[in-house]
Amino acid sequence: MNILLLSLILCLSIFSLIAKDLLHAVIALSAISILSALLFTFLKAPDVAITEAAVGTGVSTIIYVWAIRHTKRKDGDK
Amino acid sequence: MRKAKLLKVFLTIIIITLATFPIIMSNVSWPTFTRDYLFVNALNETGASNTVSSIYLGYRLMDTLGETLVLFVAITGTMSILLNLHKHELESVKTQSTLVPEKRVKNALRTNLVEVVASKLGPIILLFGLYVMLFGHISPGGGFQGGVIFASAIVFLVLATDVKTKITNSHVLERIEAISFISLILITTYVIFFPEGFFSTIDIGSSFLSAGIIILLNIIIGIKVGTSIAVMIIAMMGGKHDN
Repeated sequence: MNILLLSLILCLSIFSLIAKDLLHAVIALSAISILSALLFTFLKAPDVAITEAAVGTGVSTIIYVWAIRHTKRKDGDK
Repeated sequence: MRKAKLLKVFLTIIIITLATFPIIMSNVSWPTFTRDYLFVNALNETGASNTVSSIYLGYRLMDTLGETLVLFVAITGTMSILLNLHKHELESVKTQSTLVPEKRVKNALRTNLVEVVASKLGPIILLFGLYVMLFGHISPGGGFQGGVIFASAIVFLVLATDVKTKITNSHVLERIEAISFISLILITTYVIFFPEGFFSTIDIGSSFLSAGIIILLNIIIGIKVGTSIAVMIIAMMGGKHDN
């Protein structure tokens, strides 16, 4: 189960690195936070899990979306 | 170009391997002295059955004060940037979601879905944040986590409702934050004048109030973190949400 969660986290982080649409990358980051919270719960660290769920999914997603709204949404082609 | 990319990947793999190699291969077992000491003595000395909160609000309270100071400095810097930002963008304020519908040019962020869902969920999340904050010494949670949940509930109420209450007014929130921060500093530094420090808890036996000062600190830290993050996000979503 832990291996499955860790590989999902790895896939989502690679997706958020290579995604051209920055909003998709932010959604993938908040999905990573949810999966990490689940992983922390399995590893018997519920305090860290609550922090990860509240900060990673709630507050940091709001801040990222605000920053994207005030800048460009698409990643520029090189 | 392709060669440089391959080199980067290769270097990254080598660095990760070098960083994790000592952890994987070491034969020395992890030190267990502190863990055993806390397992035996933490409940009796601080009265909190959640050992994590007995560490960061009992044994390591000064570190928690420094952590709160870091958050305070971060919020101060963000607020100074945000307030100067909105001074130059006065015309864009009319589309912000924190205004009442008659003053808004268009419904920029607020849809029917957001209004229905967030206005119903907001008070429930507010209550859950208070629960996490107040029961931090018994169950997992604590001041910081409860404060962040509290802040997201305030953001829900700001986004979804047109009712102007004290809890969505950023002037009131700033004052609450200042008062709770001052009282946190005062309570944290009073340990200097008492030799037994924070372990002079009230002895009520196995009651849920046995943690004594940890409950008070959880409440104060929760209010401080919640109001400061709420003030920051309200400022992000379009200036002051005042009456």
